[in-house]
Parts: sequence; C-alpha cells; structure tokens
Amino acid sequence: MSQSTVSVKTYAFTLIGLLALTLLTSLLALVDLGNFSFIAGVAIAAVKASLIACFFMHALYEMKLIRVIMAGGMIWFLIMISLTLGDYLTRGWMPYPGK
Amino acid sequence: MADPIALALREQFHSAEQQRETSTVGMWIFLITEVMLFGGLFTAFSVYRMSHPAAFDQGSADMEFWMGAVNTAVLICSSFCMAMAVHSAEKGKNGRLAFFLILTILIGLVFLGIKFTEYYLHYHDQKLPGIVFHDTSPDAAYVQMFFVFYFLMTGLHAFHMIIGEGILGAMLFRTLLGSFSERYHTPVELAGLYWHFVDTVWVFLFAIFYIPGAHMK
Repeated sequence: MSQSTVSVKTYAFTLIGLLALTLLTSLLALVDLGNFSFIAGVAIAAVKASLIACFFMHALYEMKLIRVIMAGGMIWFLIMISLTLGDYLTRGWMPYPGK
Repeated sequence: MADPIALALREQFHSAEQQRETSTVGMWIFLITEVMLFGGLFTAFSVYRMSHPAAFDQGSADMEFWMGAVNTAVLICSSFCMAMAVHSAEKGKNGRLAFFLILTILIGLVFLGIKFTEYYLHYHDQKLPGIVFHDTSPDAAYVQMFFVFYFLMTGLHAFHMIIGEGILGAMLFRTLLGSFSERYHTPVELAGLYWHFVDTVWVFLFAIFYIPGAHMK
C-alpha cells in the first residue's frame, strides 16, 4: 500500500466544515426542540466524528484492513447500545410488573 | 548521520512498509478498545438519561454552555494543527513539524485550562457530587447522577488529553533530535491518530452534556 498524502486544502475544508457544524449545533441548542435536541446533537456529532475519521485520521486513504477494524468496532458498539436500550426502552410495555 | 529508516526497521519485519502497516493496525485496534471503554459509559449515560430525562435536562442546563462550545472549537483547531504536523512529517519538513506540534500542544493546554476553569465553577456552584452538592429540586438525586457521569466522562477525557500532551511532547523531542524523515515518521502519524480520537470523543461529550439543557438558561 502506498501512502497518499492528503492535501492541505482538504484539511482546511475539513476544519471549516467542523467549525461550521459546531456553530450549527450551538445555535440549535438555544432553541427548545424537546427530546429532539439530544438526537440532533448526537447526529451532528456523528457527522463531525466521521469527518475527523475520514480526513484527519486518513480512514478514507488507508488500507482496507483499517476500515474492517473500524466497522468491527462500530458493530460491537451498536450491539452493546442497541441490546441494552432495547431492554430498557421496552420495559413497561407489558401489563405485568417487571416485564 | 545514519539513515533513520535503517535504524527504525526492526528485524521481524520484511520491509519498512510492512512495519508501518503493522503499527497502524495495532494503533487502530487500540483505538477500538478505547471506543469500547467510552462506549460503555455512553450506554450507561443513555439508560439513565432515558429513565430520568427531566433531571438530566436540568443538570445539562447547569453546564457552562459557551465554554463547552468554545472548547469544542479549540479542540477542532488543535486536531487541524495535528493533521498539519503529520502532513509536514510526510513532506519531511521537520521545522514545520516541530512548529505544528508545539501549536497542537499549546492549543491542547488551552482546552485543559478552560475545562478546569469549568470544574472550578461547578465546585463554586456546589455541583460536585459526593463532596459538595446542593440542589433542592425533587429530582436532586438524579441531577447528581448527571454530574457523576459528567465528571467521570469529561475527567476520563481530560486524562486522555494529559497523556496525549505527554505523547506529543515526546514526538516534539524526537523531532528536535532528528529522528523523523520523509521516509520514517510512523510515531507522529500514530500520535496523530490518538489525538484525533480524543477530539472525536469530546465532540460526543459536548453533544450529550451541553446541548440538551442549553435552551433552558
């Protein structure tokens, strides 16, 4: 695998994108969106994290094995959070105590 | 002077390229274990947040929102400087590499300064769970739980930042010694990966702690 250098321009655009998203999050936070504000905040954070991973961390330019490792990590994290929340969120759906 | 790459190539590797790939894969696997470490805390936070949304919004309203937002921008700028440091290393420009490493370290220190100022303000507001915690609302126990998560997760993050500062300091030292060149700069790249990862964690911490209650102030 040969290393391809990411250009300064790409880094600069990533920086501007990240700062713009931070401003957007901060402005959204000042509006009362109810529970949606938490979801919107985490969603924008996920976009920012992908920008950092893709460009600053060179995930887009690295060998495929790195992407497999990243995907593996994400899948295990999603299993952890979805099964745990799947339990807690659905408690009380049944009319029996403790179900 | 001896070729740094010849000095850096360990005997178990076939080539410098293989050595670099091995190190990079090892670093990414380490970062995934870090995802699991913070992921467990994020999961626990989500469970508590869903069980007690009002208390957690109230806790979030007690955050110093603008300090958190400025700190996010500060950390993003430090990540950019780190990316520029790696870029300079790839081009073999050691002077620029040292400059960007120093800049990254300094901006990282600004982040820690703002963070510890926030901690002091929470202490001043008597929001330090287990030590001085004053809250008269009916949900006080769960507001305190919010602060337990806040101090645990941002504290763990700050601890990572402090370790990162040490790693960057070591990279700067090695740069000044002339250990890196266009052909060998893997440690700088890996230190960069760690620094960007710590930045990513903060982006999520900002989203879960500062945003939900910011409009209530």
